[in-house]
Formats: sequence, structure tokens, C-alpha cells
Amino acid sequence: MLFNLNKQNGTSVLRIEGELDALSVVDLRPTINEIGEERPSRVLVDLSPLRLIDSSGVGAVVALFKVVRAYGGELSVVGVRDQPLAILRLLHLDRVLIRDVAP
Amino acid sequence: MALRTVSAACKLVTPNARTRGSYNSFVFTDQVVSAVGEVYNNIVLHGYAGREPDSIHLQIEIYPGWMRVTMKDMGTSYDPFQAPSPDLDTLPESGLGIFIMRSFVDEVTYVAGRPNTLTLVKRLDQSGGSGSDDTLQFVSKAG
Repeated sequence: MLFNLNKQNGTSVLRIEGELDALSVVDLRPTINEIGEERPSRVLVDLSPLRLIDSSGVGAVVALFKVVRAYGGELSVVGVRDQPLAILRLLHLDRVLIRDVAP
Repeated sequence: MALRTVSAACKLVTPNARTRGSYNSFVFTDQVVSAVGEVYNNIVLHGYAGREPDSIHLQIEIYPGWMRVTMKDMGTSYDPFQAPSPDLDTLPESGLGIFIMRSFVDEVTYVAGRPNTLTLVKRLDQSGGSGSDDTLQFVSKAG
């Protein structure tokens, strides 16, 4: 799993690539904490390069959503497709998190 | 590696489903890979927690239109049928793995013991392709 966090005009864009699973999710936790401390008004989670997610990965995305919501920010997931989209739909998270769906 | 093996095996069940029928063979693969991945997580994170790491024995059987995945481990037994369904309205961050596994396959059986044996059966949608006429069986090891 690779990820990067870019910040522009009050919006933080977190781009996650590869596999977000029980093994790799540990690497993402410090970035979730960082976002919680910096409190950007908008957070976009770009999952367009994400190939696979499991329940632990979903847990991390939901945790980030709760962090942002708690300080009054707005979080949207964009670009999700294929297996990650199937998981988010199963868990009804598409209604809460997804702003658009990649073709 | 194990999930790549499972993904490759799924393609043998749905060799031409994408073009033959309306069933999306990618959905089939996504669901099987997700279910098997969650089982792996449970074994590694819970079954072998606090124990000497051991192997996970993975067996994939491919038949025309369906497949069976069997996983055996020597870890602590658990009963996947006793796991409560998550309340999705509360946006849970954990306790989702078994729910995902059970949702994405057609049959789950579990026999606790030495080894624990969990079997998943996934059938191709009837509207999809006819699947492979060959039966392939192989065994791989995953730690």
C-alpha cells in the first residue's frame, strides 16, 4: 500500500494505492492522526488507485470519517471502484462516504 | 500471494462470463477474494494470536459454475456463526470481517478441531457463463 497526503487551500487529499488491509492499515494510522490535528475543512479520500480493501481497511476509512466529522469537517471518498466499491456498498458506506463512483 | 491464487482460480470458473452473459465475472472474483481475505485475517489476527505462528492450508476446487475454498489452520477455534451481525447504521470500525465473508459466498461450513476447517462455496450466477468444463484442484501453503 502506498499513500500520500496533499494539502491545498484548506482541502487535504489522501490518495491510497494498492491494498489497504490488516497488514498495511497500521501505516495509515499516523496520517489519520495528523489530519485530526490539522483539522482541514475538507478531506478527499481518493481511492481510484486502490485495488483491494478488507474490513480493517474499511475500519480505517470509517475512523478517519469520524475524526473529520467530530471537528466539523467534511470528508468524501472519490474514485472508488471494483472490489473496494463492492465492500463499501455491502456495508452501506457508499451512502455515507462516496461522492462519486469511477466509471 | 494466497489471494492472487484465489483470484486466478476464479477466472477458471468464469473464463468467458464477461462476454457470454450479464453476470459480471469481476464481481464473482471480488466477492470470493474478499471472503477468503477475511478468513485469513481472522486466522492470523485471532486464531494465531499469542501462539507460535503456524501455516494456513488453502485448497481450491474448481468446478463448472462453482468453486469451493477450504482453509485449515491449527489456531484457536472460533465459531463464525456466533458472531453478531454488525449494526451498519452505527458505522462500526471493527467486527465486519465475518459479515463480509458470509455475505459474499453461498455456503459457509466450519468444523473446529485440529485443524480447524472452514469451507466456502461460491456459485456463479445462473445468468453468467457456463464455466470451465475442467476440474482443477491444487493446494498451496500460506503463512
